[in-house]
Amino acid sequence: MPKTTALIFGYNKYAREILNNVKDKYKNIKIYARDIENIKEEDKKFIESFDLSDEWDSIKKDVDVSKSMAFCVLEDTAENIFLTISLRANFEELTIIALASNKESANKLKMAGANKVIPLVETTADIIANMLEKPISNRILHSILYEESALKIAQIKINEDSHFKDEELHSIDWTRYNGIIVLSVMRKDMKSEFIYSNKAKHHILEPGDVLVVVGYENDIKEFEKKIGSKRYVDWSNWSW
Amino acid sequence: MLKRWILDFAYYLDTSKSYQRKKHFFYRLLEDDKFKYKKYVDFLMITLIFISVIVLIREVKHHVNDYLLFFSNYIISFVFFIEYMLRLWVNSSVSKIIVARAEHDSFLHREVNLKKAFLEILRVKLRYMLSPQAIIDLLAILPFFHELRLLRIFILFRVFKLFRYAKSFQTLASVLGTKKFEFLTLGIFASIVIFISSVLIYVMEGNDPASPINTLFEAVYWSIVTISTVGYGDITPVSHEGRFVAMLVITAGIAVLAFTTSLFVSAFTEKLDEIREIKMIENVSKLKKFYLICGYESIARELARKLALSENDIIVMDEDEQRIELAKADGFTALNYDPGKVESYEKLNIDMATQVKAILCLRENDVENVYSALTIRSIDKEVFILALLMQDVNRKKLEFTGVDKIVYPQELVGLITKELVGKPVAFEVIHELRSENADVKIDELGVTERIVENFPTVGDLGNKKFRVVLLGVYKERDDRFYFNPLDDMLLEAGDYLLVIGYQVFILEFEKYLHTKVDNA
Repeated sequence: MPKTTALIFGYNKYAREILNNVKDKYKNIKIYARDIENIKEEDKKFIESFDLSDEWDSIKKDVDVSKSMAFCVLEDTAENIFLTISLRANFEELTIIALASNKESANKLKMAGANKVIPLVETTADIIANMLEKPISNRILHSILYEESALKIAQIKINEDSHFKDEELHSIDWTRYNGIIVLSVMRKDMKSEFIYSNKAKHHILEPGDVLVVVGYENDIKEFEKKIGSKRYVDWSNWSW
Repeated sequence: MLKRWILDFAYYLDTSKSYQRKKHFFYRLLEDDKFKYKKYVDFLMITLIFISVIVLIREVKHHVNDYLLFFSNYIISFVFFIEYMLRLWVNSSVSKIIVARAEHDSFLHREVNLKKAFLEILRVKLRYMLSPQAIIDLLAILPFFHELRLLRIFILFRVFKLFRYAKSFQTLASVLGTKKFEFLTLGIFASIVIFISSVLIYVMEGNDPASPINTLFEAVYWSIVTISTVGYGDITPVSHEGRFVAMLVITAGIAVLAFTTSLFVSAFTEKLDEIREIKMIENVSKLKKFYLICGYESIARELARKLALSENDIIVMDEDEQRIELAKADGFTALNYDPGKVESYEKLNIDMATQVKAILCLRENDVENVYSALTIRSIDKEVFILALLMQDVNRKKLEFTGVDKIVYPQELVGLITKELVGKPVAFEVIHELRSENADVKIDELGVTERIVENFPTVGDLGNKKFRVVLLGVYKERDDRFYFNPLDDMLLEAGDYLLVIGYQVFILEFEKYLHTKVDNA
């Protein structure tokens, strides 16, 4: 189900950064802050107050949780875990992304029911290590992912009309599609396989499988046309 | 006229680049531990010293080959003589002293007083010649006059030259040097006890026919043997008075021995950290390429671990003792220095331009990072600096210090979230490629001349055989990335191949690229 509402729990520098980056992707955004006194003027329209001991009545009443994405960004790790557990206990269908200071709290947050955890320390260290050790690939991947260049990464869903349907992956002659590179295939069961892996080799493409391809916009369009499949456009459909 | 000639010559030497270069070369050869050729000279000298000693020992009871004797007496002495003269030369600059005197006198509108300059030269050179190491060097040359039998014993002085070449001796001397006063007190105490007891025992037993002590020398010998608690027993007191003296000497001996031992132990305990630090710095200065991490907090710790996994050398510097202990416990070379002080980098004794891959200012505090970055920039304008930014308001300050790369974790969270909710699968794929635990990796392979010779075009690479995806070619020359290049694209040395695949296959592919010449 498409996600139309973003619920950000906590009002701090991370919450503001998330708000700035996702506000054009959601119809409704709510920021739940415990202290509503030091709120910036431009953010006041998003603010609602909350307490960790809440029964979440206002959410139950106003928000369709199945169409919502929650971001737990409280700075205190224990409180963030408590918040995540509390949300999961009340809303089984809610997709929760939580910010963790390190791997240890990331594991706890996962146990608490978060769908995705961003371990801040590890992620930052990962990015710095890549910058230092593999500067070129890091730059290229960064520009692909954050669309700083014309090169794009796209997910193409195999549907019922696709030419590739029921074809074995290794029997496909990829050289016919010069402009793009197929990196991996994500099976219906959400398991991603590298294109040259042994498992992927004998995989028979089924409707619902997703190909992850890299290429320029026109080439990706051309590829879509050639294989008779459409790009997996509804990004916000994502859930785990 | 002579004066003019001397002055001209001094000015010529002082400004001659080739002369100064040669002098600097010999200085480094003899004195600079970081100079790569010094160790060969040291090794040669140590070998010569041992040859001399072996010849000396052999000569006691056997005939030694005349050539070997000639080598030991003349050649080695000559080599040592050359070394002595070179050390005397590089130790101070004669031309500089003359030039300084000339400048000084002409500034004061006086006639240049060369006599004063020569006296200064004499003073400086004599000061060097009278230093213990120079005296040992000089004595080691004396066996050259081996016909004087007594002088042959000076070969043993060559052994003392080892002090110059073995660092541990110097460390030992410096450690014991810290307890100079205590050793002096102990020495005076022991000398007084020896003097008094020798005189006493001589007075008590010198005239006793039953006593083996007949001379003052024997009395001194007995005192020293007793006070040192060695007690050979070849000379023993026989009278009650003599034995009473012996009891006093034995008691004093125990005190002297205990005092000496405790002095050694305390000198080493006090200096242990310093010795370890010296050793550590020595090891650091030998490293060829390393990352210097300033500040060891959570991000730095995680990054250090990741960089170490790729077999990088890491040096950690932090002013906080607890964090340094943590870094040491994590297995890193860690120094308890303040990254914001120039002195810290000077102590490290490293060449930033050649030895440091990058300096990472990773304190989770902008003030500290700005301070450290500015300090580093004041020392070296070129070294790559990466700094962590915690508050965006401080970005400009950090940029102003000349940092090459700024990492702002808060911004990363925003970007990651945006991509995570926008393109989940793509994000996961790229995240996987970057992750250290993933099987499938992205890697960059440098193209060398040899690779170009064997694989002139992209089509020749045959990466598909190795189940490796060639994402593209990065041309460093025009700083451009060619995505998914056509087979006829020409490769050039200096290009980078961006490949994706299983780590093991990438390694195989890389090996193949480098070894194809053998198969061709």
